[in-house]
This record gives sequence, structure tokens and C-alpha cells, in this order.
Amino acid sequence: MPDIAGDGPEEQPLFSERPDWTDVTPVPQYEGYNPIAPIFYTPQYYFRGIVKTNEKSERVLELTEAIIRLNPAHYSAWQYRYHTLLAIKAPLDAELKLMDSLAVQFLKTYQVWHHRRLILTAIYSPPPSNASGLNDPTATTSSSAKSKPSPESQAAARTELAFITRVLMVDAKNYHTWSYRQWLLAFFDDVHLWEGELGFVERLLEEDVRNNSAWHHRFFVVFGRGQLQGEEDRVAVLKRELSYTKDQIALAPNNASAWNYLRGILERTGTSFSNLRSFVEPYTKTHEDRLGDEEILDLENPAPSAEAELPCVAALEFLADIYEKDAVSKSVEIWKRLANELDTMRKKYWEYRIKEALKDVPVQS
Amino acid sequence: MSGSELPKLARVAHAGHCNRCLSALPSSHIQIDASRLAIGFYCFGTLDLLGSIYEKTKEIEREGWREWLWHQQTSGIHGTGFKPSSYMTQDRPYGTDPEEYSEYDTPHLIMTYTAILSLAILRDDFEQLDRNGIVRFLQACQREDGSFTSFPNGGESDLRQVYCAFAISSMLDDWSGVDVDRAVSFIQQCSSHEGGYGQQPTGEALGGTTYCALASLYLAPSVSDLHAPNPHVTTDERRRTIRWLLQNQASSGGFSGRTNKDADACYCFWCGASLHILGVGDLVDRTAFLSYLASCQFKFGGIGKAPEDRPDPYHTYLSLAALALFPLEDADPSWKLPRLNALWNTTEDTADWIRQHVPLYTVKAQSPVRK
Repeated sequence: MPDIAGDGPEEQPLFSERPDWTDVTPVPQYEGYNPIAPIFYTPQYYFRGIVKTNEKSERVLELTEAIIRLNPAHYSAWQYRYHTLLAIKAPLDAELKLMDSLAVQFLKTYQVWHHRRLILTAIYSPPPSNASGLNDPTATTSSSAKSKPSPESQAAARTELAFITRVLMVDAKNYHTWSYRQWLLAFFDDVHLWEGELGFVERLLEEDVRNNSAWHHRFFVVFGRGQLQGEEDRVAVLKRELSYTKDQIALAPNNASAWNYLRGILERTGTSFSNLRSFVEPYTKTHEDRLGDEEILDLENPAPSAEAELPCVAALEFLADIYEKDAVSKSVEIWKRLANELDTMRKKYWEYRIKEALKDVPVQS
Repeated sequence: MSGSELPKLARVAHAGHCNRCLSALPSSHIQIDASRLAIGFYCFGTLDLLGSIYEKTKEIEREGWREWLWHQQTSGIHGTGFKPSSYMTQDRPYGTDPEEYSEYDTPHLIMTYTAILSLAILRDDFEQLDRNGIVRFLQACQREDGSFTSFPNGGESDLRQVYCAFAISSMLDDWSGVDVDRAVSFIQQCSSHEGGYGQQPTGEALGGTTYCALASLYLAPSVSDLHAPNPHVTTDERRRTIRWLLQNQASSGGFSGRTNKDADACYCFWCGASLHILGVGDLVDRTAFLSYLASCQFKFGGIGKAPEDRPDPYHTYLSLAALALFPLEDADPSWKLPRLNALWNTTEDTADWIRQHVPLYTVKAQSPVRK
């Protein structure tokens, strides 16, 4: 059995030297023989001791906080902390404040966000009482159990959203953070909160139009949630989204996020790609080719700027997809150009598209 | 650059990196104590792919690792599974029987998957595997919406856990612990507008979870082979997924995990294997792919996520697994790796071992010889 090496730099003379901890028997870890990748760090003897006696008290909060700061991925410490908070009826808003201060440090750790979900749920929608109280109350399908949050909680929701916004300023694409924001919106399910999200996404995209997480969030807000209160007019929604997306494409045409969004909303609403032909065509030409075109200011179809890198591969792909239905030879022409000249990394993909499209074409005898 | 111009694969150095990680990790790696079994898997997997298990390790070490792995198999009220390590386990005299696990020391679904693979790589006979217990554990982890949690009493639930549940069931050849229809329905809800699959139903399309979704859908018991159309994936979905995956191959040849993010060696596996599962692995630009991974080799051994980055077992293993799926004809022999089973994520030789030793019934046995 390997020796546990001496104190690492993170060891505080905390528990072994404190008189208020002398009643706890520190419990060594069971390792057995030749453990895999044993990690030499401060033994969490005291935590195992607490768990053994099932102690739920104030000092447990102090202990679990120390462990979490050392090892934010220590899910048992988080779990035990949560149960302790509930058992001693600790003030949960104070817990949230503590989490705020840890969030930026540990924002890449799943447990920080999971704990936050648990705390929010405990404050605004207490879990069903069950024997062990150990079941996860954030299960999305705990149907009868969850009560609707009260109206006052809108203020709390806004505070939470503001917190998430601050965290996103540190790391604008953090997956956990965005998932948490989406969970929060669904949890409170308040129409005003949903509506505020469009402006939020727009601000983020002003900073970085290629932030795919923001584009994804927009799709979630517009199409992903259940009841679209106040958004019954689907036609108006589609018009608004198309207009917004076209403007962003005009600003920066070589942006896969915007094109994926465009394709996504068309597919989701069952709208034919050919509806966007007049918008897309200018993006498929070079600047020189476009010189011959008439300069018509069309607000519905913003044109590429002079600085845009043309032709735009995504636009050509889009046009080829339009042609695939009834002018497949034109699609083939575009795919060949992409394969051989404009998008050679995906040469085999474009050749595959040609092969697949021609498979369906009836052979003329 | 052609295959023959690539630098060599530094096999010895990469094996050394993983071997060192198996022996000890510094206190700065404290955060992975909750996932040591996974690290073990990446190290063993690397040695397996490099064919160095027997060269680089001694039988006494392998015996010790197998024994340590079996110490993590733990039984209790929610069935049986493997813990990530004994970091929450009370000490007891060596050789005594363990008690049933407490609620804070339960088995972990992902670690159970990596444990079974690790034991197979180490050629364990699986006499000690509590198959029925594991099936009960899977049942305990599945939620109403079809997803699986890491623990029976909570924890994260997303496509990664679904994949592990499917892989375990497939290896056991016993699906009684899984409500497949509900799980498939959950997987399908994770499909995003971009064509990839997010971590959970609201999530942004992500390479790792796209692999988990596709591997699960192709492991599902109703699917007979990789070449027939999959009943759980529509033609349109397949087309969109293929498009999104290939869009993620960056100009460096590496793959990114999300649209408009940088390439990362691990996504060469997650996205590459996804394309392979969909039957279009040939569409990857293989030379560029290899040259990216070659450039991620760290000069002292191991492979990192991007050129010049520090290596770790996770990126080392996944890069090699990706290379095993996409061999290049004219590359230096150092790049030759064994065939990989893309659905279980292990070599075909290890997959064969699993087929022969993990299920309760195998072709040879007439009646169950194990519990």
C-alpha cells in the first residue's frame, strides 16, 4: 500500500488541531492492494467520520465547504452538504450567495450547477416529502410533486439570470452555464423572463456573432419551450427570426452558427429553402460578379457588405440544397465547385452529395 | 502533406505517459479522485491500443489492478456496480468482506462501464461479476423520462449515462435493466436544430454526446447491424447529423466539439467515431485528420488537446482510438493500430474477450456457470 505523502500545499491545520473536532474519529480510506492512480492529497478522514455517524450540523457545512474548495468534483461532499442544509434548515439564500462566490472559480464543474439547481428548487418548489429525502428533486418529470413558483419569485429569477449573465461574461460559451440558464427559464416558466431572453441573446451576439451557444439559446427560447404564450402568431415569429438572421448573415456571412440557425428555423417551421433564394444568391457570387447586378436596396434581403469574403460556402451549399429538388444538375455543378475549389476539406462529402443525388435521378434510355 | 510525410507516432513515449499516470498522480489532480476508474480506463485503453499491456506492465501489477478494480464492485439496496475509487469507503482490515454501500458511497454508472472495459483489457475471467446485481443497478438509475442518473439516488443525468447503460447491457447481453423505448425517446429529444445531439434535451449540439446518442441508438437491441438503416434515426436526421459532424472538421484537420469552437483532439474521436457509426467514415479528410493528431503529440509523451498543450490520459487514449478508426495507407508503420470496436470503444480483440466472458450465457456454455 503506498504511503500517503506528507501534507500538500493545500493542507490547512484545520481539523486535527481544533478542539471542537476532537470528538470525531478520523476514518482512513480503504485502498486494498495496488490501487490505480492513487492520489496523494489531504486525507478526508474527517468527512468519512462524519458520514459514518450521519452527523448533520453546522460544522458539517464548514467541513464540506473546505472539501469542496479543495476538490469541487467531490460529489459526495456536495450531496452530503445539500442534505445537511435541509436537515438543519439552514438559510438557503445564504447558501446561494456562497455559491455565487465559488461559481466563477469552479464554473467548469458540473456539481456547482447541480447544487444550485437543488437549492433553487428547495427554495421555490420544495420536493415531495419522502422517507429518505435523498431523491433528486430536480427530476424534470416529478409531476405531482412540483408546485408552481410564487409570483414573488420573479424577482429571484431575475437575480439568478443576472448572476448567469455575469458568469457568461467570464466564459461566454460555458456549457453548464447555458444549460443552467435553460433549466431556470423552464423552471420559473414566466412569460416576461422568456421575452427578455431575445434581447439578452442579441447583446451577446453583438459582442461575438459567432457565439454558437447564444444562437442555440435563441432557438431554445423561440422554438424549444412548450407553450408559447404571446407568441401564438407563428408567422410573425418566423418573419422576425428570418429578418434577424439575415441581418446577422449580412454582417458576417462566413458564420456557420447563423446559417445553421437559418436552416434550423426553416426546417422546424416546414418552410421551403427556396423562399430564401433571392436573399442567398448574392452571397454565392464573387464581388466582381456582383458588380453587374443592379443595386437595389432591399431591406428584406440585406446584401453582403464590401468587406465580406465571397463567395460564401454556406450560401452555395444552401443554393445547391434549393436546386436539389428540381434542378439537380445545378446542384451538382455547385458541389463540384465546393469539392474542387472552395471547400476542399469536405471534398469527399460533396462528392457523396453528388452520388446520393444522382442515385435518385431516373436513368434516361 | 501525404501520409508518408507525417512524423512518427511516438508509441513508447505515449505508453510511458499512461504508465506513469497509473502509478501516481500529484495532489494537483485532486479533482479526479471522484473518477479514478475512468482515468484507469484511459491508461489501460492506451496500452491496449499500443499493444503494450504485456510489454510495459508486469503480471503482478496487472493482478493488483484487477484486484483493486474488483474492490470497487459494491453491492447494496440499489443493486451492484463499481465505485470510482474508494475515496468514500471506510477502512477495514484487508481481506474482510465489505458491508453494503452507504448512500454516499454508491456505485457510479459511468465508472461501472469503464471498470468492465478495464477488466476486459486486463483479460480478467469475470467470475466475480455480479451480473444480476448490475442489471438491478441499471434499473435503479433510470428515470421516468428515460435518462439515467450517475447514481441510483441522484447526480447528473444526460446522454453519457444513457450510453453507459446501453453499453453495459450490450456487453452483458441482457437488456432487462433498461426500458429501451423510453431511453430512445430521451435520446431523440436531445437532437438539436443543428443536427448534433446535446447533453440533455435543451442542450447545444456537442460532439461527445452526439457519439453517445448514435452509439446508443446502434447498440439498441432492435438494431441488427451497422449497415442497415436504423429504425431510430430518420433519413432527414441522419442527413443533418452527417452534415453537422463534417462541418466540425476544421482547416487544421482536427475536429471541434461545437460549431465555431476550436479543434480539440478528443473530438477527433467523438465526431470521427460518430461518422463511422453512421457508415460515412470515408468522408473524413484522413490525411488532415492524422496530421492534426500527430501535431498534438507532446514531446515528452502523451497527447494533448491541441498542439503544444499538456497531455493527459483522456486525450491520449481518444486520439489513439480515433487513429485506429481511420488508418492511413501510406503512413509510417508506427501509425498502425489494431481495429477498434466503435460502439463499445475498445479494440476488437478486447471486444471478443468481452463477448466470451461477460454475458451470463455465451455460445459455449449450455447453462449459466456464473451468478
